[in-house]
Amino acid sequence: MVFSSLLFLFAFLPLTLALYYIVPHNRWRNIVLFIVSLLFYGWGEPVYILVMLGSITAAYGFGFLIAKNRETNRKRARVWMTLSLITNLSALLFFKYANFFIANLRLIPLLSEKLAPIEGLTLPIGISFYTFQIMSYTIDLYRGQTEVQRNFIAFGTYVTLFPQLIAGPIVRYRDVDDQLTGRRETLDLFASGARRFILGLAKKILLGDAASRVYEYAKATAEFNSTALGAWMVMIFYTLHIYYDFAGYSDMAIGLGRMFGFRFLENFDYPYISKSITEFWRRWHMSLSTWFKEYVYIPLGGNRVGRLKQYRNIAVVWFLTGFWHGANWNYIIWGAFFGIILMIEKGFLLKKLEKLPSIVGHLYALLLIGFGWIIFSHTDIAAGWRCFLALFGVGTEALSSPVIRYEFLHALPLLLIAGIGATPYPKRIWDRLGEHDWISCGSITPYGEERPITEDGLVLSKRGKVVAVLTTVGCVFLFVLCVAYMVDSTFSPFLYFIF
Amino acid sequence: MIKKICNTATAVCFLLLVFGFAAAFWILPDSAFSDAENRPLALFPEFTLETLTDGSFNSGMTEYFADQFPARPLFVRMKAECEIAVGRGENNGVLLGKNDQLAVRKFRVYESLLRQTSDMDYYYRENVTLSLDALNAYASNETRPLVTLLPPRSVDVAASALSYPGEITDALHDQIAEGLRPETGYIDLLPLFREHYDAGEYVYFRTDHHWTPEGAYLAYREVMKGFGLEEEIKPPEDFTPEEIPGFYGTTWSKSQLKFIEPDTIRYLSPGNEDRFETSCFSVKMVKDENGRPKKVKEVYKSFPGWLNRDYFTAKDKYAAFLDGTHNEQFVTIPEMDAERERLLIMKDSFANTLVPYLAQHFDLVIGNLTGGVANATELAEEYGCSRVLVVYNWENLITAASLTAIK
Repeated sequence: MVFSSLLFLFAFLPLTLALYYIVPHNRWRNIVLFIVSLLFYGWGEPVYILVMLGSITAAYGFGFLIAKNRETNRKRARVWMTLSLITNLSALLFFKYANFFIANLRLIPLLSEKLAPIEGLTLPIGISFYTFQIMSYTIDLYRGQTEVQRNFIAFGTYVTLFPQLIAGPIVRYRDVDDQLTGRRETLDLFASGARRFILGLAKKILLGDAASRVYEYAKATAEFNSTALGAWMVMIFYTLHIYYDFAGYSDMAIGLGRMFGFRFLENFDYPYISKSITEFWRRWHMSLSTWFKEYVYIPLGGNRVGRLKQYRNIAVVWFLTGFWHGANWNYIIWGAFFGIILMIEKGFLLKKLEKLPSIVGHLYALLLIGFGWIIFSHTDIAAGWRCFLALFGVGTEALSSPVIRYEFLHALPLLLIAGIGATPYPKRIWDRLGEHDWISCGSITPYGEERPITEDGLVLSKRGKVVAVLTTVGCVFLFVLCVAYMVDSTFSPFLYFIF
Repeated sequence: MIKKICNTATAVCFLLLVFGFAAAFWILPDSAFSDAENRPLALFPEFTLETLTDGSFNSGMTEYFADQFPARPLFVRMKAECEIAVGRGENNGVLLGKNDQLAVRKFRVYESLLRQTSDMDYYYRENVTLSLDALNAYASNETRPLVTLLPPRSVDVAASALSYPGEITDALHDQIAEGLRPETGYIDLLPLFREHYDAGEYVYFRTDHHWTPEGAYLAYREVMKGFGLEEEIKPPEDFTPEEIPGFYGTTWSKSQLKFIEPDTIRYLSPGNEDRFETSCFSVKMVKDENGRPKKVKEVYKSFPGWLNRDYFTAKDKYAAFLDGTHNEQFVTIPEMDAERERLLIMKDSFANTLVPYLAQHFDLVIGNLTGGVANATELAEEYGCSRVLVVYNWENLITAASLTAIK
């Protein structure tokens, strides 16, 4: 199930909220969350609940063994940790990557006859996310950064918690361990969660999906009439689509978390205002970058080793980052693409860029990010390459065509709104006008900085009060508008009966 | 204080909306059919252990929820008007032009019969070539006089009312003009219809994808000219207009732009409908006494004239002509049995409004191409037709393969 579906909003959510707030104690509330999260997960693929439960049980069990040995016998603790990680990773490797490996091995002449792809193997939803969450628990435990979780329900709730289960943010165990057993739900936190959720829904439905339609259209026209403008539209609108889709989903997750008393870390920090790729990856999908930095890059020696080893570390992390996004070569190329740029930036470019006017850095970063999305969005690598060349008019029939110009002109308002919305300015202005941050109050930055939940002694001027009321009314309006778009997406008239 | 009020208001409104719609969904009765979408709506899925494990219960629930959602038409309309308000200039692939002219821009084009793409304004040239080639092949074997009418779409005719470029119209127009051999008797209708449309005449509906009876009259004259029967054309004065207001057509339904004014059907009556009779045939394959397959034709419906006036009071008013869609029909004057010349019409629904005019000159044998009737030669022989007319509009040309089977 996804958040942006009618079934989630008007069946799953009310049921969950009602059950959650009817039961009295956190312990019972965790049971409610655990059960409804399993339901949420199993809606599409009931069988894969078992895979997830297996992973949870394994990590939960190994957790005791790691905790028991970590003070006394480091080596033994290490063995248990390794076993726990292998168990978890093997599920991910098998379900996500087995057929990719088989397909590639089959390219070797002698093996093509003997190997056959495993049939009926579909990717369990969210497996990439929850596997990483479970691993953070195991590793933190081994490192002594957190305590063992004895309560299976609490641990199960951590992994399966439906707000972040299928698309993140990847919540580190040690960031929420206290909240699992001792969180407090308040009206203020709930209201701030509802606002955040609605904003995320609007990002996804009103901007992300709209950008996606333009992208899909531009991509499809390449088959009929390949133009440079079409290729630019593919790049620009995919760039907008993936940001609003993903950041919107993270907003919804964070908002939903707050409705149930959880405070998750932020996942996006206006990535498209970056002036370098290094900066971009500090702002994009932060929970994933943090995860790789903490559990791969730093253990490999991070920056504290020689130049050559640093480059090796970057290469490893970016190969893995690319591969994590999908079992296909284009994702690996996409990761390698960024790995190489990051190495160059580390080598000399970053220092050069800092000396230039910031507009150069912005253009440089946006272009490379866009090129990256072309690789990312084309699982057919040859098609991706054609699209890339088409940006420069290579291999195209024309620079543009009347119909594509028409489409582009009519997508300009969207481009304008979505472009401005990807910068911090609208929110900054709104916060300043309103003298209060209504949207992010209660959130925690990835650097651990807590933004206070609406403080009690808040005093607002007349203007601030007007903004407060407008925020409330605006949220209701946006929510209804999103519902309209969701309902409309299921509108499928069958009209051509007289032919 | 303001904080408390706003936070309480946010929480209460959110919960009211979420729980309110949930409650309304379960309390309001389900409807089985949607008139707006002209399709049955999903009902509560069957709940058994089997449907639960194979996932069909879950997908059924998702559909049920979407189809029976409270105030569904209102939401759909809200989205449509929002799209226009933000300057998209269209909704669901339907352009909104001057004077409330609607025109479908994007169509469901097929790459092949197996693979369907999403709605698109470009089209596969190869598919159109297949249809044109089939028509050429048929025409080269047909010895009877043949006229081919390929009516353009609203988006082609009403170009002056739309800010949409003519790139695809031109490409399609040229491909047809260059692709058809003279034997097909092809008549290029686009310039004619554009001229009359631009002169402010009501030749195509604003809310429907068909031409109007006035538009069909223009086409009728072209058919007669094409057969060399120019002198026999009935002048407009021979027909009495009858106005049927309140027609909301298919394009209107697709667009969901409810503020658009309805069309008026101006039916041009020749005044002699009651002399005519239309019969609808079904064809069944049975075995004869020797066990060989044999075709049996049965009349399953017949009515006086060519109109089913019941449709004039329903939503789908265009279906009044020829009673909507039937695969094989015969329009004749019973008292003049077999005295009149017979014309075979291989057609789609555009031909339905031609019938009142053509029936003045011929008995009409009508085969519905889009219903899979494609054997023109057999039909013409069976009824003894002396002329053939093909009517097949551009939208079908780019989205369907019916014409490829003509022989």
